[in-house]
Amino acid sequence: MKYLAGRAFVALLFLWTLTGSCLGAVDYDQLFRQSSDLMAQGDLDGALELLRQVPTPAAGEEAGAFVSSRMQAARILASQDETTRALAVCQEVLKLFPDNSEARNFVAALKDQLKPGWHTVLSDTLRFLPSLAKGAVMTLLLVLSTMLVSPLGGLLIALGRISTLRPVSWLCWFIIWFFRGTPLLLQLFFIYYGLPSLGITLAPFTAAVIGLGLNYSAYLGEIIRGAIQSIDHGQMEAAKAIGMSYGQAMRRVIIPQTYKRLMPPIGNEFIALIKDTALVSTIAMVELMRAADQLFNTYFNITALMLAAVIYLVLTTIFTFIFEKIEYRAGIYEHR
Amino acid sequence: MSIANQPLLKLENITKRFKKLTAVNGVNMEVAHGEKLVIIGPSGSGKSTLLRSINLLEEIDEGTIHFEGNEVGYVLRNGKRHLDHPQAISALRAEIGMVFQHFHLFPHMTVLGNVMEGPLTVQRKSVEEARSIATDMLIKVGLSDKRDVFPATLSGGQKQRVAIARALAMRPKLMLFDEPTSALDPELVGEVFDTIHTLADEGMTMIIVTHHMGFARELADRVIFMESGNFLAEGAPEEVFSKAHDNERIRGFLNRLL
Repeated sequence: MKYLAGRAFVALLFLWTLTGSCLGAVDYDQLFRQSSDLMAQGDLDGALELLRQVPTPAAGEEAGAFVSSRMQAARILASQDETTRALAVCQEVLKLFPDNSEARNFVAALKDQLKPGWHTVLSDTLRFLPSLAKGAVMTLLLVLSTMLVSPLGGLLIALGRISTLRPVSWLCWFIIWFFRGTPLLLQLFFIYYGLPSLGITLAPFTAAVIGLGLNYSAYLGEIIRGAIQSIDHGQMEAAKAIGMSYGQAMRRVIIPQTYKRLMPPIGNEFIALIKDTALVSTIAMVELMRAADQLFNTYFNITALMLAAVIYLVLTTIFTFIFEKIEYRAGIYEHR
Repeated sequence: MSIANQPLLKLENITKRFKKLTAVNGVNMEVAHGEKLVIIGPSGSGKSTLLRSINLLEEIDEGTIHFEGNEVGYVLRNGKRHLDHPQAISALRAEIGMVFQHFHLFPHMTVLGNVMEGPLTVQRKSVEEARSIATDMLIKVGLSDKRDVFPATLSGGQKQRVAIARALAMRPKLMLFDEPTSALDPELVGEVFDTIHTLADEGMTMIIVTHHMGFARELADRVIFMESGNFLAEGAPEEVFSKAHDNERIRGFLNRLL
């Protein structure tokens, strides 16, 4: 019923426009409005028919309405999965205006749709990979810097904690208490956005490495302390008995024996670190997460996020293997 | 008094308390150059604590230690006794070798590395020199063929001989043995005793805490029987080990063991 009414309406309109064109002045705005109405009612064929009535302009004639009508038609067809017909309509526009960017972009998008699915993913991948790779390099730089800084910081904190000098021990306890007890995100915000108000302005990368470094030093400090204290007390006595100082005993005897025990928990922490670098995206750093987020927001394309996930997995897998290798090497003296 | 006449080690009124327990109760003792002193007694009698006090692994509560005629280990500061500064203590330990019941070899170093460690790190000798000293010591304890393996692959007896070599590499003036065979299977005890015997024959001054009476009797110049932190008897082995010892406690202890 509704359909018939629509048809009748179209016929009336058709007559009306004919008269209009006879009069030499077509109200294109009204035409577009009516076609939109038809679309809203679900009568796409009707809408298309209306749009078709905008004539191909002669050379020199005003062509805005023509281009708009054809592009609108192309969009309708594309939404109906009539990709080939939509392409043909776009070609009509391009025949007259080869440089029309709207038509060109639409043709490119339609051609993408004609390819099989994996092909689209592949071309998206190729399109996104350069910026994701740049982000991944930044993530890797952050990870490596923190991996360099935090074991040293952790060792200092661990030695401080077991020191017989009370103030040193308390200071290290406080550092661990603070950095383990507050969110890493808050620490990063404080260092990057908060410190400038105290007159200390840091570059994003510096702020990120300081934040991650302090946080991970606190965690590694406790792990290293545990490992040191797990070494048989007889080792320290034997070292002292041959005349070693406390420092020599630590450096030559105790700490080298902790490496094997340290690797599993430190490996855990460093895997977590790879993913924690994503938090750094909040302090104006374009690392992997930020790069993926930007692509996702620009193209609204989920491939960007999936690719980022794959890159994170690749990174964590590589590091897992490296840690396992190091653990094996560090404990080689225990193999019989 | 010439160096040859004065004792190498002289302990006066050594007292060590653990909370309420008095582990060593004001004992006096002298050890001459080249002397082999064996300390026996039931477990918990304070033998190990006394031995560990000598190289300051235990901090004593009272008493003085003289090594080569000099008072060592402690200084008076504001009328209170304190441990001497760490360098002085390390320097003393470097001259006193110690062998532990549980070996305490450094597991992450090869056999050669273990023996080289003292000369290399403490005495700051060159790698070549340290290696040559260590090689000599391993030959002395009969383990030069094991120089490149890690301790984990050795038997208990071999481990203890490496530990002896490690102590000897520092060229100590005094060797302390804290129950060196107590953690060993019976068939492995002999090789360690043989090694200690060789050392004794070379004239090394040593104090040995042990439960092996046969070994004590055969090696010792002098035997001390210790119980509850006190010396119950002291003298030549044939004296202390005589079955007709006048002290009933010693008689009982020896009868259980011999």
